[in-house]
Amino acid sequence: MNVQGSAGEPARRTPRVLLFACRWCALIGADAAGRGRFPLPASFRVIPVECAAMIESDSVLRAFASGADGVGVLGCHLGGCRFNDANGVALKRMETLGDLLEAVGIGRRRLLLSFGTGHEGHQFAGVLRTFYAELEPLPPLSAWRGPLLNTPTFR
Amino acid sequence: MPGVIAILCRCCGQIDPAVDLAAVREKIAREDGVVSVEVRESLCLPEDGAAIEKAVRDSGADRIVVAACSPYGKAGEIVSTLSRLANRPQIRLVDIREGCAWSHREDREGATAKACDLLRMALGFFRYGARSADAAVPVHPACLVVGAGSAGLAAAVSVARAGYPVHLVERGAAGGGMLRMISRVYPSDAAADEKLRPYLEEVERNPRISFHPRTRVAAATGFAGDFKIRLASEVGGENVRVGAVILATGAGAWLPRGLYRYGELRNVLTLMELERRGREGKGAAKRTVFIQCVGARCPELPYCAAMCCPSSIKNAVALRKSDPDAEVTILHRDIMMPGHILERYYRNALNAGVRFVRYDAEKPPVVSGGAQVERVEVFDVINGISRTIAADQVVLSTPLVAGSDNARLSEIFRIPLDRYGFFREDYPLHPLETRMGGIFLCGSARWPVSSGEAVTQGEGAAAKALAILGRERISALSMGRMPEGKFGHARVENRFCTGCGNCVAVCPYEACALQRMGPARVSRVNKMRCRACGSCTAVCPNGTVQMPEHNARAVGAMIRRAFAEEDFR
Repeated sequence: MNVQGSAGEPARRTPRVLLFACRWCALIGADAAGRGRFPLPASFRVIPVECAAMIESDSVLRAFASGADGVGVLGCHLGGCRFNDANGVALKRMETLGDLLEAVGIGRRRLLLSFGTGHEGHQFAGVLRTFYAELEPLPPLSAWRGPLLNTPTFR
Repeated sequence: MPGVIAILCRCCGQIDPAVDLAAVREKIAREDGVVSVEVRESLCLPEDGAAIEKAVRDSGADRIVVAACSPYGKAGEIVSTLSRLANRPQIRLVDIREGCAWSHREDREGATAKACDLLRMALGFFRYGARSADAAVPVHPACLVVGAGSAGLAAAVSVARAGYPVHLVERGAAGGGMLRMISRVYPSDAAADEKLRPYLEEVERNPRISFHPRTRVAAATGFAGDFKIRLASEVGGENVRVGAVILATGAGAWLPRGLYRYGELRNVLTLMELERRGREGKGAAKRTVFIQCVGARCPELPYCAAMCCPSSIKNAVALRKSDPDAEVTILHRDIMMPGHILERYYRNALNAGVRFVRYDAEKPPVVSGGAQVERVEVFDVINGISRTIAADQVVLSTPLVAGSDNARLSEIFRIPLDRYGFFREDYPLHPLETRMGGIFLCGSARWPVSSGEAVTQGEGAAAKALAILGRERISALSMGRMPEGKFGHARVENRFCTGCGNCVAVCPYEACALQRMGPARVSRVNKMRCRACGSCTAVCPNGTVQMPEHNARAVGAMIRRAFAEEDFR
């Protein structure tokens, strides 16, 4: 996974991606992508959620702080939420969070918002690959990550 | 000894090529709190299923992490079997087949690392994950049916026959709905009054049905099992308590003002007006032209109302039968007659000598005449010629539109409307159900349907309501729509709640409400209304509202472990 760069350059590796996936939509897509044997980079992790609305802004920030280069929030298509359009509220919140990420220098591009675009296996794989292509040219966000985050108090 | 038992499934060799299960086992066994790691050939095999149950019992573990296929695979079943064990263990399912072994077949090292991380995430979750406490309320064994059309009557009669009291509310003076306005029903061609009579008689005779004519629902509070409804009528109001609500408010007719010279020429009618004339024994004419899809399937009203083609054909055949010399033409864009019964009905119309001419929406027919209709000019797209059809009467088939009371009721019952103003059903997995537990839909309140289908749906909604009414108590966790029950429900820690009201503003089910507690106001979650979407937890400024099953600390623990394996390498 780690590709050693030439002397003096930091090592480059595939970006790490943490996805929050709504179990009614994107998680089904992730499942179908696996059943369809779509080859995907192994450096993403999925946290299933009941609804995209339950993803706190804090969780996204915490993911960036814990070494994710990109975070995805994947929910049902707008208007198709099982919880009375709660995903619309989630989208609004995540867009606001995007402004914050832009302001602190992480960048909006590192936050993937996908509502209803990852329900089928090939769609999920496509969304994820596009996101990886977007992240690859960016410097690794977690390069600075030191022992601080692994201290017992923080854990 | 309480602790975690990890069960890894090889899925008959599906996992091994991509994931080094021996390495995973070794690493996970070293984690805090793990008492045992079992690797099994396939949890689907009966002997392995029995073996893991025994292993769980022997180890005394109270938390189980199962690494197998995705929850949509067989693993969902395995988890529900294990969750029924005597000590009610907490279970976390980790998907190492679809999401790991099958997705990363080229990268064994990466897939193994991912499997380790996913298992560690589950272990981290166990440190803070909790369970929602259940709550149960007694069910009020009565039902409210709003609207006494064919759907509402069928629902009320079904519930009453099952032995439960029904409040049947109708804003008009008498029941019957649209069947009171039409002559006959398709496809049986029975008289509408005959179809209606047994229901109306039963409403009158059955002591369990209390009929409230000229009454509206003024307010509603509560939840499945215990709704408090305020009924308002001219003579006063009444409060009723019911366990379930069935909305059967029906649809409204749409008047094609300004189209095809309706309202301007005599004998340009809508289908409903023709039906009314049919009831009065009038409406016969020598030459009748029906125009289909008037005001429907156009940008303003893009849907097909589904009942106008059969209704027009029914009337066309009736006109031909009453007068064999009558000329009847149906101008259509497409004839929508699905199913074998309606298809036969359509063939029957062809045999009866009804003429069908297809027109193009771009070039609609033109109705002309002086005071009275004289002719209709239409471009026949099949034959590519213009036709002029002499007519004494033009019937415009207009679609059914949403009932005028829907917007008000949607506010009262908190049911969203779709873009056309019909009540939104929990499509497609939960037919006749709404987003609010205990409130059901049937008939044209949800979509234009024929009276026959409205009866079917009314009985269906009654069956769903009876599933609630038949219980003595209803528990909050059983309110989910999935077989495994509800995910949980939100919980407020009163000590820290600042009463900001964010959760109240964002809750889609109005489960959160501010309540006075001493000098302060704090939010309180109604467990029966809560559907566990988690919106409130995300907007709470200080994390006071939490989903025990998905609390911030547990999620944080998962996030911190998400890339742990890569860091160690």
